[in-house]
Amino acid sequence: MPIRTKSRATRAVLLLLTATLLVACSGGAGAGQELSKDPVTLRFTWWGADDRHKRTQQVIEQFQRKHPNITVRGEFKEWNGYWDSLATTMAANDSPDIIQMDELYLSSYAERGALLDLNEAGKHLSTEGFDAKALATGAIQGKQYGLPIGLSAYSFVVNTDMLAQHGVPLPDDTKWTWADLRAAGEQVSKATGGKAWGVQSWGFNDGGGLTIWARQAGAALFDDKGNVVIPPKVLTGYWAYLLDMARTGIAPPPPVTVEKASAGLPQSATATRTAAFGAWWNTQLTALSAASGAKLKLLRLPGEAGLKAPAAYYKPSMFWSVSARSKHPAEAAAFVNFLANDEEAAKVLLTERGVPANQRIRAVITDKLTETDRAAAEYLDKLPVSDPPRITPNGASTLDAILKRHTENVLFGRATPEQTATAFITELQSEVDAAR
Amino acid sequence: MSALDELRRLRHGGPARKRDNKAAFWFLAPWFLGLAVITVGPVLASFGLGFTKYNLIQPPRFIGLDNFARILTDERLHNALRVTLTYVLVSVPLQLAFALGVAMLLDRGMRGLAFYRSAFYLPSLLGSSVAIAVLWTQIFGADGLVNRVLALFGVQGKGWISDPDTALSTLIVLNVWTFGAPMIIFLAGLRQIPAMYYEAAAIDGVGRWSRFRHITFPLLSPIVFFNLVLQIIHAFQSFTQAFVVSGGTGGPSDSTMFYTLYLYQQGFSRFDMGYASALAWFLLLIIAAFTFVNFWAAKYWVFYDD
Repeated sequence: MPIRTKSRATRAVLLLLTATLLVACSGGAGAGQELSKDPVTLRFTWWGADDRHKRTQQVIEQFQRKHPNITVRGEFKEWNGYWDSLATTMAANDSPDIIQMDELYLSSYAERGALLDLNEAGKHLSTEGFDAKALATGAIQGKQYGLPIGLSAYSFVVNTDMLAQHGVPLPDDTKWTWADLRAAGEQVSKATGGKAWGVQSWGFNDGGGLTIWARQAGAALFDDKGNVVIPPKVLTGYWAYLLDMARTGIAPPPPVTVEKASAGLPQSATATRTAAFGAWWNTQLTALSAASGAKLKLLRLPGEAGLKAPAAYYKPSMFWSVSARSKHPAEAAAFVNFLANDEEAAKVLLTERGVPANQRIRAVITDKLTETDRAAAEYLDKLPVSDPPRITPNGASTLDAILKRHTENVLFGRATPEQTATAFITELQSEVDAAR
Repeated sequence: MSALDELRRLRHGGPARKRDNKAAFWFLAPWFLGLAVITVGPVLASFGLGFTKYNLIQPPRFIGLDNFARILTDERLHNALRVTLTYVLVSVPLQLAFALGVAMLLDRGMRGLAFYRSAFYLPSLLGSSVAIAVLWTQIFGADGLVNRVLALFGVQGKGWISDPDTALSTLIVLNVWTFGAPMIIFLAGLRQIPAMYYEAAAIDGVGRWSRFRHITFPLLSPIVFFNLVLQIIHAFQSFTQAFVVSGGTGGPSDSTMFYTLYLYQQGFSRFDMGYASALAWFLLLIIAAFTFVNFWAAKYWVFYDD
C-alpha cells in the first residue's frame, strides 16, 4: 500500500512536470498563428456588474466546449479597481491575455506597447461583420489595438412622467436648442417647488458631453496629433451654461450634484426621479428605467438642428484587446473571435455591453431585445451622426477626472469659467506632453 | 536581582543562551526574508525609480533630478501638502486631547469599565478601514445622519462631504473619532503615576485643574510625546479615508487630496511611477523633519522622572 501511494505521487509529479514543460514549449516556439493542441490557459479580464459576470461566464463555458484544450479563467472587477489592477499586473509582466478595454485607456496602453495588433492574428479573428468606421475607433495608425464590442451615442434621458405631472410639454428633439432645455428645466424646477430639479448637471461623468459641445461649435477637443485645440471661448460657454443652471435652481445645488455623481447610476438624479432631464449614454436607458421605475425616453442632444454636420457620433462602448505579451496570441484571438462573431454567444450577451458593433450579430439578436434595449437600438439607428472624434490621446486618460475637478471649481465659485477654461487647456496639454 | 543584572546576564549569556539565540534567528528568518524582499527591496527600487521616467510598461529612463525639480513647481502637489498639513496639525492635537480626556475618565474605577474601554477602542481598530469610510459617507451625506439630526432643530444641512469647504473637516472628525489606540497607551501611563502624589495634593487642597497641570501632565509627558510622534507620522500617511470618501478623486475641488492619494494617482492613474517614487521620498523627508523638530522641542516640555 505505501509503495503504491508513493508511485502514484511520483507519477503525478512527473505528469505535472511534463504538462509544465508542454505549456512552456507552446509559449515559446508555438506562439504564432497556429492553434495549440496542448492544454492552454487564457486569462480574461473585464469590469462590470453581476449580470455581466453571469452572462460572460456562460459564454466562456460555450467556448470551452468547442475548444476542450483551452481553459479561460475570468477575472472581473469594478471600474475603479479594474484600472488600478490592470496597471499593476501590466507592470509586473503578468497581464491577462484578453482585456476589456475602454476608449480612454486604449491609446495609453497601445502607445506604451502593451497591446497586440489584432491584424496580426487575422487568421483566427474575423472582422467581416464590422463597419469600417466602427473598426477605425479601435485603430491607431493602421494597427487594430481594440475590437469595438458595442456602440453607444450620447443622449438626453427625459422622465416623461415628471413632465406630464407638471404640465411641461415634451420638447421636439429634432429642433430643440440649449435655451429650450433651460426653459423646460426651469418650468419643472418651479413646479416642484424645490423637491426636484429640471436638469441634472453634467460635466462629471465623462468627456463625451464636452466633446459634443465642442463639435457643435465647429471645434474639437483634440486635433489629429493629440494636441488640445478646443478654443477657450467654447469652454467658457460650456461652464457658464452649467453655472447658470446651478445658480438659477434649474440644476441641483453643487454639493448635491457632486454627491450624486460620485454615488453612481442608481443614486443619480435621473434614477431617483429628482431631475426631469439628464445627459446619459443611450445604452444606459435600461438600467435607468429599472432603477427609477419611471417612464423614460431618449432625446437627441439640444443644438443639433441647423448644424452643417451633426456633432453626435457613435462611441464604442468598449473594446476587446489582447495583451502584447500574451503567450497564446492565436488562442486569445480565437476567443475574441468567438465573443465577437459567434451567434450563440451573442444570444447570451445581448446588449449587455452595448448594441453590438458587429452588424451581422446585431441582426441576430434584434428580436430578443427588451423594450428599453430596443429603444436604445432604435435611437442609435436613427440618430444622424458624423465621424467619431480623434481617440483620446496617450496621457489624457485622466481627462474625466480633470474635467470633473475643473467643473467643481466653477460650480463652487473657486474660479470663473474664463479662468477655468485656460487652466483646463494648460493642464490637459501638459498631460499629453508628459506622456510623449 | 536588579534589572541591570538581568540585562548583563542577557548580554553575556552562557552557551545555552547562545543556542537559544540561534534558534530564534532561524524562527525569525522567514520574517527577515519577507522584510528584505517585500519591504527593503521595493524601498531601494523606489529610490532608483525617483530619478527615472517610468510608465510601468516600458523600461525606466534616467532623467536625473527632473522629478524632484517638478516637486517645486507642481501646484496641485502644493495644494495636497496644504491639505495634508491642515489635517495633521488640526486632527492630531484634537485626537490626543480627546484620547487623554477619555483615558482620565476611564482611569477611575467605574462599573462596566472593561466594556467602555473596548467600546472606545473599537473605532481605532476599524478607523482606517474601507467599511468605516463608507459609513462616513452615509453619516455626512445630504440625506445622512448628521443632517437628519440637524433637521430636528430646524437647521437645513448640506452635503458635508461633497462641499469643498467642509469635506476635509469630516475626515478630521473621522480621525479624532479613532482615538482608541493613543487612549489605551494613556491609560497605561496614568496607571504608572503614584497615587501618593494625588493624596499629598488633596491634603494641600489643590484643585482639579492644578492637579492635572502639576502632577498628571508632567508625569505623563513622555507618554504624550510618544503618542504625538506616532500619530503625526500616522496622520501624514493617511490614505484609505480620503480614497473611499472621495471615490479616489481627492475631490471636490481637490479639497481632500491627501499627499499619499496624490502620490498614488501619479503612479497608477497617470502611469508616472518615477514621479510617484520621488514623491514618496519627499514625504519621507517631510516626516523626518517633523519628527526631528518634535524631538528637539521635547527637551522643553517632556519630563522624565528617573
